[in-house]
Amino acid sequence: MSLMRSEDYLPRPAVIQKIIAENSQIKTFVLALADQQANQAFTYRPGQFMMVSLPHRGEAPISFSSTPTRPGTIELSVRRAGSLTAAMHALQAGDQVGLRGPYGRPFVMEDLQGRDLLVVAGGIGLAPLRSVINGCLDTPGHGKLTILYGSRVPSDIAFRGDIDIWQHHPAVTCHLTVDAPEPGWDGPVGLVTGLLGQVKVDPASSTALVCGPPVMIAAVLTALGKMGFADEEILTTMERHMKCGIGVCRHCHLDSKLVCVDGPVFSRAQLKKLQMDRL
Amino acid sequence: MRDDAMDQAFILAKDHLKSFLRKVKKGHRLVAPVTNQHNDTLFCTINHLDRVPINLTEQAQNGIKSFLFPQQETLATYAVSADGYRFNRTDVRPEPTVYFGVRPCDLMAVLYMDVVFMGGVKDQHYLEKRQDSVLIGLNCNAPFANCFCSATKSGPFLETGFDLMFTDLGDRFLVEIGRPKGREMLQAWQQFFTPAEAEDTRAQYQLSLEAMAGFRLDVYADQAIQRLAAGLVPESVWEQLSLRCQDCAGCAYICPTCTCFTIVDRPAGPDCGERLRSWDACTFAGFTRLAGGHNPVAHKIHAIQTRFLHKLKYDVDKHGRPSCVGCGRCVGICFGGTDIVRFIKMAGED
Amino acid sequence: MAGLATTFGSGAMTNAINEIEDAEVILVIGSNTTEAHPQVARRMLNAVDKGAKLIVIDPRRTRLAECATLHLALAPGTDIPLLNAMMRVILDESLADQLFIDMRTENFAALRAMLYRLDLAELEAVTGVLLEDIRRAAQLYARARRSVVCYCLGITQHICGTANVQSIANLAMLTGHVEKQFTGVDPLRGQNNVQGACDMGALPNVFPGYQAVDNRDYREKFERVWQTRLPAAPGLSLLDMTHSGACGPMRAMFIMGENPLRSDPSLDRVEETLTSLAFLAVSDIFLTETAAHAHVVFPAASFAEKTGTFTNTERRVQLVRQAIPPIGDCRTDADIIIALSGRLGYAMAYESTAEIMEEIALLAPIYAGIRHDRLRHSWGLQWPCWNTAHPGTPFLHKYYFTRGKGHFVPNDHLPPAELPCQDFPFLLNSGRIYHHYHTGSMTRQSALLNRECGEALLMIHPADAARLKVRGGDRLCMASRRGAVEIKAEITDQVAAGSVYTNFHFGETPINRLTIAAQDPVAQCPEFKVCAVRLEKL
Repeated sequence: MSLMRSEDYLPRPAVIQKIIAENSQIKTFVLALADQQANQAFTYRPGQFMMVSLPHRGEAPISFSSTPTRPGTIELSVRRAGSLTAAMHALQAGDQVGLRGPYGRPFVMEDLQGRDLLVVAGGIGLAPLRSVINGCLDTPGHGKLTILYGSRVPSDIAFRGDIDIWQHHPAVTCHLTVDAPEPGWDGPVGLVTGLLGQVKVDPASSTALVCGPPVMIAAVLTALGKMGFADEEILTTMERHMKCGIGVCRHCHLDSKLVCVDGPVFSRAQLKKLQMDRL
Repeated sequence: MRDDAMDQAFILAKDHLKSFLRKVKKGHRLVAPVTNQHNDTLFCTINHLDRVPINLTEQAQNGIKSFLFPQQETLATYAVSADGYRFNRTDVRPEPTVYFGVRPCDLMAVLYMDVVFMGGVKDQHYLEKRQDSVLIGLNCNAPFANCFCSATKSGPFLETGFDLMFTDLGDRFLVEIGRPKGREMLQAWQQFFTPAEAEDTRAQYQLSLEAMAGFRLDVYADQAIQRLAAGLVPESVWEQLSLRCQDCAGCAYICPTCTCFTIVDRPAGPDCGERLRSWDACTFAGFTRLAGGHNPVAHKIHAIQTRFLHKLKYDVDKHGRPSCVGCGRCVGICFGGTDIVRFIKMAGED
Repeated sequence: MAGLATTFGSGAMTNAINEIEDAEVILVIGSNTTEAHPQVARRMLNAVDKGAKLIVIDPRRTRLAECATLHLALAPGTDIPLLNAMMRVILDESLADQLFIDMRTENFAALRAMLYRLDLAELEAVTGVLLEDIRRAAQLYARARRSVVCYCLGITQHICGTANVQSIANLAMLTGHVEKQFTGVDPLRGQNNVQGACDMGALPNVFPGYQAVDNRDYREKFERVWQTRLPAAPGLSLLDMTHSGACGPMRAMFIMGENPLRSDPSLDRVEETLTSLAFLAVSDIFLTETAAHAHVVFPAASFAEKTGTFTNTERRVQLVRQAIPPIGDCRTDADIIIALSGRLGYAMAYESTAEIMEEIALLAPIYAGIRHDRLRHSWGLQWPCWNTAHPGTPFLHKYYFTRGKGHFVPNDHLPPAELPCQDFPFLLNSGRIYHHYHTGSMTRQSALLNRECGEALLMIHPADAARLKVRGGDRLCMASRRGAVEIKAEITDQVAAGSVYTNFHFGETPINRLTIAAQDPVAQCPEFKVCAVRLEKL
């Protein structure tokens, strides 16, 4: 309100610099605004999202998977789900998309400063948390990072380049699990909640960040509560059908809240206050 | 007429109404309720004052929502070319508009839309239509069959919120000034107005009392609001409503405060098209369904709940008053008998 | 149509839609009313609110069935045995209206003889409905003072469609639930003007107003007014035309506002017929599959672009007034016919559709009192409307049936033409959904309706799904003896095990490639509701 921001719903063209195939379903698009000045001035925060436009397909909200600590380009990781994302997967480097944003309440990195982080992710849910993880690693004074990442099958494991770095980083512990093994997999099999018991984290000095399929989020939130995490220190980010991104169209309603402006980042404490906390 | 004399009320003889509106039309588009040849009374743009009779006795079927927030509007056009993928605004500056004969419920609805579209981030498309508009209200001397604005405290008489407010006193209108735009308008055409006498204000007060007694529906909105706040509305109420709702969204489209919308692209050729915004409704299953098929509002019952909770709980929490203005239009349009009056009644029962 | 015509003498809803609200018992059979006729369903639900008992007879647990006092989930195509069982219970428990039968009907002895030959236990087995439930339904329906039966395509789209309707009529006459207000037999017509089209003689055997073409008096009346010779023999039925094949008698067709390449059964056969025509002209508001095959396409105006009348399911003739001028090159249906007729050498000189209405009034006695100016300031008039002073007729058959006495036509069970077997183990039933209309030529144009429902889903019972290892959203190949389609599965216990259900709105999933062309011998309505299919997971 104080900013008196106004919205004209006009996307800005952005050029695909590079496309990284994370797995058969997920691609990461490295993008820069076509207008160089605008691209340099562009800022965002982890947890926020962009409205991405494709010709004739309309718009869809996509979270940043990149960190603002690495400026110049942004990265949006997209899972093929509907007609817009399918069309996006067919694009090549050099093609353009339209971008509006950034929108949404972010993860407040200042609050995470000095705390240990427990990151619990499933599937494409790692994308917005990757933004936080890499942001922390880029910033001095971060605490210990523990990353638990669940995938359906080993070939679905996304962000392998990052995972490789995390697994070799002295301040990071990174565990992977899969729902079903494939030949050559010798890691854990089972839900990501199963990994929670195996890691050493001190709930008092840690903040948990959770993202993944709705059922997984619900299970992990409960498990973290039982581990002794305060509700305020359990953060999650939500996926919703969004049209405006500015809290008007109401497609992303969640009880009395609108995910696009009151979220997408919510603490468990905030969710508990809602009458219908549907994930 | 001196400025400090402008806080009092004025009288416009009915004989001068048309003359006044003719002057108003010189600088503005005029929108007022008109009965067409099919006997439908609708707010529409008046091009010729002498050809169309303005109807100030019926309830307009449409309200003025669609003028500020059209059922479908172009947000932008897009084109893909060697230049890339570009969006352009279709630059049609909206004309300054005077809305005349707006009933208290519809007027309150505009104030609510102002909060939705301009309270946080300012929606340019709404703002441009709204900023040059003047609202001239008409108090309701006799509530219509499905009205219940007294229950939602949005009528039948309003004291604020308008630019000018008219009250029909028989052969003359009592005219009150609300906001500065109304004052300017009255000042500009002061030749038609005379100061109101004490008896005029007394007559208006008497009419407002009679209007309060004229409601035909018993609607206890406060009771429903309290029971919703306390979580006392049983699941069976929602179940019954969801079985009965026919999913037509007529309630949302006709509702002066329902502002949910969707945005879609309409191709005009292989490389160009329009981005459109059109009305949507929270009761539709596709409203919340994600591209992958997951729907956080999985059941009809929750979609129905959302509609009524939004109007009678969330907005009460947020703005201190419900966003139902008691116009009763949904009562007339609902197929399944799941309109808000029905809900309020069911929610109030033990 | 034919079923009610042979029993009551007139094939239309006997009630006004509003009367349903004041019925005590509503028996809905073969109608998914909430989705297909929401305005009628609204009256049913209002009646339930007022305390009415609702009985739904449907193989599926429809939304209306969820609101019902009693839901009889019969095996598809066993309507006659179920209705016969109800009638037998009524006889056994002395619930029949003997006075009504004596005074107003004929041929009761034949019905009684047939019913007494039946074995209720056997009927229970055939229909798959507990005798206890059949008994309760019969008692509820017979004992109430005001009982209404509503039926729809679930009754008529069977090879025994006419017999199904006759059985419903038998039930109504047996209990005297016909002649009074709030009481009757109501076929719900699908499209906004299908009643009007039938009224205007869009049937093979009648002129406007149900006047038989083989009746010399009627024929001469029309010849006199139209100043031309008219054929004395009935024409061809729909399937006789669209299924006549490459070597059939059809050489040229003019199709208006119909999309047989989607809506008729055994589509491969329809395609063969249409592609081998020497000439095909189609008039429609959008370029349908059928129009795409035409040599000439007339762009037709929509309802909003013309003035005329629609006659709805309760025989109500309503005036539609032009709201906008026709867009682009569109012309109204009347305009197209008049122009075409002129080119063919028969000049039609009508100044307006009001003048055409006057000719209808002149020639069709049931429309004799209907004029545009009478409709202008009303919600319409219900036929029969015998003269310009006549107020119209909300409910039919007061004091006497149209044909004089109501005629009982006893009927035996006739199983569907094609039932599941080892190779095709599932029974496919098809129908409509709320968000789309018929072949979707109009509703598929709407982004919002496509968002609400953008593809056909095949309802399949959880037990069958488990056996086939199918999960919700999986793609299946569904094949019948006539063709195959690819379709997505929706797991739901709204359908019975062994049955699957979907709709025919989607061109991407042309269900009528699978359906059978077997048809009712009298009404010549195809058996869309039952055919045998097999499913394979893709």
